[in-house]
Amino acid sequence: MWKWIQRQASPKVFFETCSRLIPWFFWPFISLLLIGLYWSLVISPADYQQGDGYRIIFIHVPSAILSMMIYAIMAIAGGIGLIWQIKMAEVVAKVSAPIGAGFTIIALATGAIWGKPMWGAWWVWDARLTSELILLFLYLAYMSLNSAFDNPRTAAKSSSILAIVGLINLPIIHYSVKWWNTLHQGYSVGTGGLKDPDMQIALGIMFLASIFLYVLLVSIKARTEVLIREQNSRWVKEEVVGVEL
Amino acid sequence: MTMVEYFSFLPYGKYAFYVWLAYGVSAITVIALFINAKRNHTRTVLSLKNKFSINQ
Repeated sequence: MWKWIQRQASPKVFFETCSRLIPWFFWPFISLLLIGLYWSLVISPADYQQGDGYRIIFIHVPSAILSMMIYAIMAIAGGIGLIWQIKMAEVVAKVSAPIGAGFTIIALATGAIWGKPMWGAWWVWDARLTSELILLFLYLAYMSLNSAFDNPRTAAKSSSILAIVGLINLPIIHYSVKWWNTLHQGYSVGTGGLKDPDMQIALGIMFLASIFLYVLLVSIKARTEVLIREQNSRWVKEEVVGVEL
Repeated sequence: MTMVEYFSFLPYGKYAFYVWLAYGVSAITVIALFINAKRNHTRTVLSLKNKFSINQ
């Protein structure tokens, strides 16, 4: 296993791994998504307080967790790139940013859409909401800093430092509902969270589907990024010339 | 007639507009991520193909 991980530091091996991963993550993602949607929209009962409006939680909570998880992965991969000079870790960090930003946008948008009927407002400057919005800005800052350099190594170095500094925001998002008296409701997972087993299963499946979606998108995007970075090597030439479009 | 009333014939009644809007926005975001990833890849492969054929 350790040997396998070490071999991924080679661009060619990593490119091939990504190509192989795509079907293994695409089909499970589609199946989990369909089962998850059916469980969320049909099987799960209506909530006793929020009626059917609570069903937004099945996309809101997984995408919010993923938005934070992807940020952590991005910062850790960036750190690995900084410390051990592993270029493929830089690739993972770089391609994770737009995906994480996408999940953050989903979390913010679905939260706002849920807030309108439940709170009567699309947006309030609550601690949870504000810190999640800062997370979106961190992703955007990371992406613009990364694209501001011509040399991908320099870009990775400066943007990784930004990502690591921004890690401080993650515990703030997570504990915001505990530390401050927020309008945002408390944790949905664990004590005080969803109690109905069907709701828990639906949430769990949607969460799994989101993880598969993330790995799938990383594999697709990483292949592109590796081709760009390694365009002067012989294997890329052979790979590209062999591709039929 | 408000949007909420207009869409109340769908499942989930008075929450239909909000629930389907949330699922719709999420679907569009995910599809946009996929299209963007695929298009970037095709463009990169095309431009590299051009570069290699010029150099030959």
